[in-house]
Amino acid sequence: MSAQLISMIKQAYYWIGPPVIVFLLVFAVWEISVRLSEIEDYLLPAPSAIITEVLTNISDYAFNTIVTIGEAIGGFVLGSIFAIIGASIMYQSRFLERGLLPVAILIKVTPIIAIAPLFVIWFGFGLLPKILIAAIITFFPVLVNCLSGMRATSSDITDLLKSLNASKSEIMIKASFPNSYPYLFASFKIAIPLAVIGAVVAEWFSGDRGLGSMIIRANNNLDMPQLFGAVFVLALMGVVLTSLVIYIEKRVLFWHDSQKVENEIW
Amino acid sequence: MVSRLSLMALIIAVSIIVGCAENNKTVDEIVFMAGYKPQANLPFVGVYVADNNGYFEQQSLNVDIKHASSGEHVKLLLSGDIQFSTSDAGSVLKQISNSEAPLTAVALLGQRGQQGYIALEDSKIDSLTDWEGKTFGYKISIPSDYMAMMESEGVLRENIKEVSVGFDPRILTEGKVDILAVYKSNEPDTIRSLGYEVTLWDPYDYGVPTLGLTYITTNDYANENPDVVRRFLKATLQGIQFARDNPDAAIEIVLQYAPETTVEHQGFMLKTEITDAISELTDTNGLGTMTDSQWKSLYDHLMEYNALENEFDYKNAFRSEFVDEIYESGDLVWP
Repeated sequence: MSAQLISMIKQAYYWIGPPVIVFLLVFAVWEISVRLSEIEDYLLPAPSAIITEVLTNISDYAFNTIVTIGEAIGGFVLGSIFAIIGASIMYQSRFLERGLLPVAILIKVTPIIAIAPLFVIWFGFGLLPKILIAAIITFFPVLVNCLSGMRATSSDITDLLKSLNASKSEIMIKASFPNSYPYLFASFKIAIPLAVIGAVVAEWFSGDRGLGSMIIRANNNLDMPQLFGAVFVLALMGVVLTSLVIYIEKRVLFWHDSQKVENEIW
Repeated sequence: MVSRLSLMALIIAVSIIVGCAENNKTVDEIVFMAGYKPQANLPFVGVYVADNNGYFEQQSLNVDIKHASSGEHVKLLLSGDIQFSTSDAGSVLKQISNSEAPLTAVALLGQRGQQGYIALEDSKIDSLTDWEGKTFGYKISIPSDYMAMMESEGVLRENIKEVSVGFDPRILTEGKVDILAVYKSNEPDTIRSLGYEVTLWDPYDYGVPTLGLTYITTNDYANENPDVVRRFLKATLQGIQFARDNPDAAIEIVLQYAPETTVEHQGFMLKTEITDAISELTDTNGLGTMTDSQWKSLYDHLMEYNALENEFDYKNAFRSEFVDEIYESGDLVWP
């Protein structure tokens, strides 16, 4: 067995091993508890009942997962783009930062559940209101982290660029924005599960597709295996999307100290 | 003289014993959770009035009144945390069909279904055939009574755009949909209060079997506490009768539980639900009564339109004996 293969197996175990072990343990305790206590499915289904439900209706789950994932990623990308633009504007001027940050906080503290029905009225029943809600929920953490990252640029670098007659915009593009990458990826890891939650909450208020709609229907019909099945798939979606962000981070930030430390483990 | 004194002593002794017995009469503690926020839904009103007017006390019941916010009432009922709740008859059938939940309806308040369909009067949608080419907004799932109503009038559903729109009625006034599924006792009044007149269609008028709200409990609780079930129904149905006779006083009581709402809206809700609670059956047998054929028709209808996941014996969904036992010739036996 080549050293490269062994390294790959070690890497895979490093990432997948601990969560799998934890999940298996939790599921085992859950299954045994439900069976020993003879709890009915309509109160708390056993993991085996949930897995059976998902596997039996795998095409339904796959279709609804694609819908929700599309809304979540769409909202995540849109929210992140607006957040990065907003952070760049605020970085240029402390006056604008003081003016715009309260607006961003207002967006952050607005309960999504209160505005989601209005989004249906304003933007219809299609994907748009769901994507916008996911974008709103994504916006704030990305904005704050991006701005913090840009502001944390070493004064040595900015002074050097200033000495070379670089404009404020050039300093931002060449130094400050790249300096915010680690901060941005940290915010992406927070924002991507939030985008999933945003999409699900939006689906509660309109539309007949997506895992959020599935949850509402299952709750109404007291179909707990389906409800937990949808929640289980959502959790899996959150893990996969977060892992994807971590993977991209490792590729993009291979030069950064945080990634080097992690690589040195192996 | 001695015998007179003995007689008096005997009377006093008997009075004391009877008094003690009265004082020791067991008061049953139960929890009722209304299926939604405080408002003038008829089964909720029955409980509010029974509590306010002392009917529960007269039936030796101490009732803790709670309200659900997102459908948790049925789960809490099944887990034994609460003893009584409310649910739509169709939902009872669906929940038993989906999960074999041991629920049972012990009184049927809604002799007609709660749901109707509205369009703005200005939209010139006057008949069901006018729905073709229009957008119809439903809440979560396409209602089976809508499908049956369309079929009964020969309206082709493929010519109607059906969209799930949630619960905000402004979707209609903003023109996002042309026809909206509503609770007859709620949204029509809300939309009128926004300045729009509406046209209402009730599936019941098209011969579709529909039933409304019920009081529910679990089979186990009903088996183990039949007397409590009877006393709970006596008190609440007495409360509903009071609301029927004194709607204004009943609304005042409702507002104690729902102070943020308006007299007008709650009055509309109560009036609509009282109308739907009255039928030939209830005129003869009393409010809250139900028959096997009502449930069978609803079950058959839901099966026909694939609204039920699994077949089951519809008789498991209701028990009419409790409500039958508390009436004599259509009059509630009180106390």
